[in-house]
Amino acid sequence: MDILKTLLYLFVYPGLLFLLIYSTFCEWFDRKLYARFQNRMGPLHTGQSGILQPIADIIKLLFKEDIVPEKADKSIFSALPVFGLAIVCTAALYLPVWHYCKEASFNSFPGDLIVVAFLLSLPTLIFFLAGWHSTNFFATIGAVRVLTMLFGYEVPLLLALLSPAILADSWRLSEIAVFYQINPCLLLANILGFCIAVITLQAKLERVPFDIPHAETEIVGGVFTEYSGKKLAFFRLLSDIEMVVGAGLIATVFMGGFPGGLWWGLLNFVIKTLIIVFLLSAIRAACSRMRIDQMVSFSWRYLAPLAVLQIFIVILLKGFLK
Amino acid sequence: MEEFTVPIGPQHPALKEPISLRMTFDGEVVKHVDVRLGYNHRGMEKMAEERSYIQNLYLTERICGICSHSHTTCFAQGVEKLMEIEPPKRGLYIRTLVAEIERVHSHLLWLGVAGHEAGFDTFFMYTWRDREIVMDILESISGNRVHYAINTFGGVRRDISEAQKQTILDSLGLLKQRTEYYTNIGTTEPTFVARIKGVGKLSKELALSLCAVGPTVRASGIKSDVRKDDPYAVYNEIPFEVCTADTGDVFGRVVVRVNELFECYKMIEFMLKNLPVGDIVVKAPRRVKENEVVSRYEAPRGENLHYIKSNGTDKPERLKVRAPTLANYPATVEMLKGCFIADIPLIFAAIDPCICCAERMVELVNVKNGEASVVSFGDLKKLASEQYKKCGNKPEPVSIAKQLEKIRRKS
Amino acid sequence: MKIQILAFLPELLKHLFRKTATVDYPFQKLVAPEGFRGTPVLYPEKCIVCKACVRDCPAEALEIVSVSETEKKFKMTIHNDRCVHCAQCVDSCPTDAMGMNKEFELAVFDRHNLKIEYVYVKSTPAPRTTPTPNTPKT
Repeated sequence: MDILKTLLYLFVYPGLLFLLIYSTFCEWFDRKLYARFQNRMGPLHTGQSGILQPIADIIKLLFKEDIVPEKADKSIFSALPVFGLAIVCTAALYLPVWHYCKEASFNSFPGDLIVVAFLLSLPTLIFFLAGWHSTNFFATIGAVRVLTMLFGYEVPLLLALLSPAILADSWRLSEIAVFYQINPCLLLANILGFCIAVITLQAKLERVPFDIPHAETEIVGGVFTEYSGKKLAFFRLLSDIEMVVGAGLIATVFMGGFPGGLWWGLLNFVIKTLIIVFLLSAIRAACSRMRIDQMVSFSWRYLAPLAVLQIFIVILLKGFLK
Repeated sequence: MEEFTVPIGPQHPALKEPISLRMTFDGEVVKHVDVRLGYNHRGMEKMAEERSYIQNLYLTERICGICSHSHTTCFAQGVEKLMEIEPPKRGLYIRTLVAEIERVHSHLLWLGVAGHEAGFDTFFMYTWRDREIVMDILESISGNRVHYAINTFGGVRRDISEAQKQTILDSLGLLKQRTEYYTNIGTTEPTFVARIKGVGKLSKELALSLCAVGPTVRASGIKSDVRKDDPYAVYNEIPFEVCTADTGDVFGRVVVRVNELFECYKMIEFMLKNLPVGDIVVKAPRRVKENEVVSRYEAPRGENLHYIKSNGTDKPERLKVRAPTLANYPATVEMLKGCFIADIPLIFAAIDPCICCAERMVELVNVKNGEASVVSFGDLKKLASEQYKKCGNKPEPVSIAKQLEKIRRKS
Repeated sequence: MKIQILAFLPELLKHLFRKTATVDYPFQKLVAPEGFRGTPVLYPEKCIVCKACVRDCPAEALEIVSVSETEKKFKMTIHNDRCVHCAQCVDSCPTDAMGMNKEFELAVFDRHNLKIEYVYVKSTPAPRTTPTPNTPKT
């Protein structure tokens, strides 16, 4: 029975199949919202109000011509998208979605918060390598920008994620979630951290105002300039899944996780991640792209000090509660 | 990192039309810019010599899609001077009215493009949505959204009815309200302001010495506007201000254009309320006496200049067009020096470039020694196929005509 | 200077539940306004074959050839693929034989399908005005 459940966990829910379907749904939700914010219609014709459009896009990309630049290192160039997709799917397994383990197990152990944060920062390196190995000028510039941005947002994100963990006195995602399910009022103490986490997640996903590495009007496709066909489809899927996992991580840490077993847990997961996707879309629609120097100075001047302030608040609160 | 040269264009998402900007970068900073034109040459001036005046009216309209009215008006004014006819007042008023509505549409379009270049797509969608109101007005007046073709020699082709007058006045209220909102957004949204403030500086002296025109020069604090300096049509009867800004950067160019929008609304309202009664057109002759004329016009992008030489027939002997974009290229090169890669699209878009407007001639220049030469079409073809072979392609490119024939035979 | 964080947000939220500005085009069509310059059409019963339209057409889209000299039969071809929809032919025509309809969806797979041909007998009513290319029609 346990083996069956583990297999289901890995491949169906919340593993591969669910992730693929739900991430395309999230992309559709994001696109539709973005269009609505702009008084447009958004995807419309594939499926009920265009719900299948992201899947259709990916299928279409799979059948497109796949070009590898002559001077690029072919093996690395082709391996990177698959590798990146595997990394984000692995990160998804650590989200405490379905079965909570009282004891440590393969997907829940003390310190898995750090593991997820680490796995989520690996795609950035994948993007960098992808850009660097494309040997294209625009891709190289994009790759350099990816790394520059990484130094901007990674620290505030990690600090913001730590503050609820400090309050809950645990580095295990499921324990943090359970702690806040018992004391929901304490969630309010982390509001500042929540805002920082959402903004930095936007930067991690490289969406407006932080879409600097693949700013279309400046450096064409950025790191993805040379990618086409299947590989580009993988990268798109990677971004979608990264969005779901990032939203799931923030929902676990800042919104009390997903209690209620299989069905209620699923409902919790969907609602909470969609709230975060909504916030991400709103930021995307309300801002213009920053310049790379502005982005780095913004995150070190405002986000990082605010994240430290959040940790101070939490430490003081913790002393007060004791 | 050492300096390296990168071709921005002729195909690049920031450029809506083909032009090649060869840039030398030092890291993310632009060191040197080399503008290369000639990708969109259409031979319009030569074409104009082979057509009658009335046909040329529609040809000049197609020099530019955005400011189509400015080119026909400029041409029609010149030819009217050559024909020695004076259009009636009502005709001139309608001509000016369409010109100002076109300015509104062009500036709204530019605002959206500036937003898009800065990655502010929502701003772009909203401004373009509200631009539709202007497009609808133009369509109802002239019968088409882009090529209005309202001008003819000696006046205009269509009259404005009372009902149309009222609808235009009604939609002006909405437009004013929306423009105020965009002014507010464009000057307060922190991410957008951070992108346009202090970017692409052009000092007053430099703007003058490089002969920049239109909003580009006005944003550097110089009051230069053909409508005031050398009034044509009915601009000496309409009250309006020349809008300037002192900052000389992209932000200043946004401010100038937005203020000009408000001036436009005022002028449109004035013209509609004071529309004189009478004819809209006088009869024009077909043949034009031997003479020459230079006609100036303030297009939304700057000063537009047509030189027309007639030779007594019904066809012009020479037509020379100087579009505002061409006059702004030297200034753009100066603005681009020292900017970041991220600022290139914004600075380039800030002059509101219309590349096909500016492409008047193509010259073959040897890059190594700077020698210009004339090459016949046959030689050019030979050169091209040699180059094609050098690149390792099939020896002889299949001719398009042959391919077409193949397709036709199949079907 | 005034700076307002997320200045756009209220407007965005307002638009979330508003009707979209775009329409589902091929399924839902907008109506062209009165006086729209669509496709040129000929009213053959009025044509006196003065060829003023052919002379003035800037795109050389009109062509009139004689089919039979004895019957005074003519053939007019409107090459709609070349037409620039300026309506100069309507203005040039002394007898109102040319007009513009509101047809604007002209996409076809072969440009030759856009050709419109009229074969007709030359009519001989006295022209109301002398053929002046620049007189506008109201």
